[in-house]
Amino acid sequence: MSSALDQLALELLPTGPRLRGHDAAVFALREKRDVAGRAEPDFERLRDHAQAAKVHALDHLDANLERFEARATEAGAVVHWAEDALALNRIVHALLDARGARRVVKSKSMLSEECGLNPYLETRGIEVVDTDLGERIVQLGHEPPSHIIMPAIHRTREDIGALFARELDVPAGETDPARLTEAARRHLRAHFLGADAAITGANFAVAESGTIVVVTNEGNADLGMSLPKLHIACLGIEKVIPGLADLAVFLRLLARSATGQPISVYTSLVTGPRPGAELHIVLVDNGRTRLLADDAHRRALGCIRCGACLNTCPVYRRAGGHAYGWAIPGPIGAVLAPALGGTDAQRSLPLASTLCGSCTAVCPIKIDLHEQLISWRATAVPRGRRERMLAWIAAAVMARPALYRAAGRFARWLWPALSRRWPGNPASPWLEARALPPHPGASFRTRWRARTRAEARWRANAHGGRP
Amino acid sequence: MSARERILARVRAATRQVAPAPGTFVPGSRRSDFATFAELVVAAGGEAHGPFDAGSLVSHVADRCRTWSGGARVLATDAALALLGAGPWQPVSAEADPHSLADVSVAILCGAFGVAENGAVGLDGREARPRALPVLCERLILLLDTRTLVPDMHAALARLADGALAHHHFTFVAGPSKTADIEGELVLGAHGPRELAVFGIGV
Repeated sequence: MSSALDQLALELLPTGPRLRGHDAAVFALREKRDVAGRAEPDFERLRDHAQAAKVHALDHLDANLERFEARATEAGAVVHWAEDALALNRIVHALLDARGARRVVKSKSMLSEECGLNPYLETRGIEVVDTDLGERIVQLGHEPPSHIIMPAIHRTREDIGALFARELDVPAGETDPARLTEAARRHLRAHFLGADAAITGANFAVAESGTIVVVTNEGNADLGMSLPKLHIACLGIEKVIPGLADLAVFLRLLARSATGQPISVYTSLVTGPRPGAELHIVLVDNGRTRLLADDAHRRALGCIRCGACLNTCPVYRRAGGHAYGWAIPGPIGAVLAPALGGTDAQRSLPLASTLCGSCTAVCPIKIDLHEQLISWRATAVPRGRRERMLAWIAAAVMARPALYRAAGRFARWLWPALSRRWPGNPASPWLEARALPPHPGASFRTRWRARTRAEARWRANAHGGRP
Repeated sequence: MSARERILARVRAATRQVAPAPGTFVPGSRRSDFATFAELVVAAGGEAHGPFDAGSLVSHVADRCRTWSGGARVLATDAALALLGAGPWQPVSAEADPHSLADVSVAILCGAFGVAENGAVGLDGREARPRALPVLCERLILLLDTRTLVPDMHAALARLADGALAHHHFTFVAGPSKTADIEGELVLGAHGPRELAVFGIGV
């Protein structure tokens, strides 16, 4: 079944040292997460609590949203509501346009990736500069991010050096991460100081105080929020949680699960605008209420975007984020895509999983990700004629033991030919990046019979020797 | 119907309000002494000094300022000046245009409290003004009364309930700004301060 993911993965698949670098970098995060989790005695209890707290928060989302809006408004923020991506983009553009804002600095927001905010603003003459280092790298390279928290993790230091030599003031051949980061710092500092407005996402919104919470390690969101006089924060409605007590639980889990840090460098609780400035908060639905109404999948809205499920996923680690062709890659991306995306390719993403369950095992909110992938396969994945026909043939063969055995003999005969690459081999796409294992020479039934006979002989001998 | 009403109507239709409230999380007990906290500041890439008594604090902070600033601009908030008195630092106006702070070498602020579990210092919106000061400076010095240390984030956020959020922002800062966006390799000094030192006060 050649899903869009298979096709894309083949084109974008990292190979050789590039693959090992990607795999090592993301799995290092998984290991740091494990170390941080083991070092924190509260960790597993926090996960249990976070799961219950998110379910409760989503069950009371209407009250939480209204309370958040009221408190944020009291504090001087202006709250907007956007039903879909286009509505968000229009609201943000109208706010910028009305103030003549032409230069915008933006910190990371997966929602804006999902909604295509940058291209919408850019085609209307607004310069949007992504300020997270990884986001700036992929923006300069005209490609989407490939990881939720490490947007440029698919790029090597040589790639980035070459890119910066072309786009920034960096000598050719520079590959030292510290010097490349320094060049980006100087380049972006000028953009921060010259910006007319800042756009940020939000990791959480607290209903009881009308506060948005923005978490970064680089300090880019904080610089954006503290220089220009206009701050626009865009967030999905599912980010609203009841109170500060819930926030404490989620903050203790977020950085530990993402990078193994006990807390990120900057955790900013923003309530109302800076004196003399404006704060606008856009609450976005864009398919979230559809997911909320779906009992089988609503728990996916509990995601706090830590990236742990990506770092541990054997498919993500091998294929990279671009292969998913959707703003959010990895297991959580494949769970959200059928509801929030909607193209056939996005709805077939639940097939991009081995169902090993590693994602579920590391999720700080204990979202049952692999169960959700199975359930989407039954309801969302589009089935072409070829797939329906293959399923019908498989069912027919499996229902007839003699036919099944014959098919097995045929497959063993065909196997050596299938394992080699030749024009017209239907297995060719697989062989591009994987080797088929040698077949065991006989059917499972034959080997099982031989094994049980051998065991019986062994037992008979063992007992036969005793009185 | 407005977008707001349509979204809220859909949310209402989709929520059953059946889940029991999760109750209060009871964290395990942990130490909240300065040594524990200081270890976490260092783990986050920062420096932790002290605790010092009020008399010896000034010379330690002044030494750090001189090595870090090389004579360039050092600003201290009113609260920090009240603790430090005269030295190689200048006062900063809370109403200053943040763009005028682009050349600040070292900024000195007072932390509201420290969090022992992660080495974070809470900066109150009344103290961190202009808002840009602690992120735009090249290096950051935070003065912290060791009696304010709390064990964990539960205690930290409980402390904010009494009006601390009413001043635009409350920011937790743990170490200097950092990034690992190039091949996962850690680099200190992304967009904010390149270095951070916390000076504990009290014995």
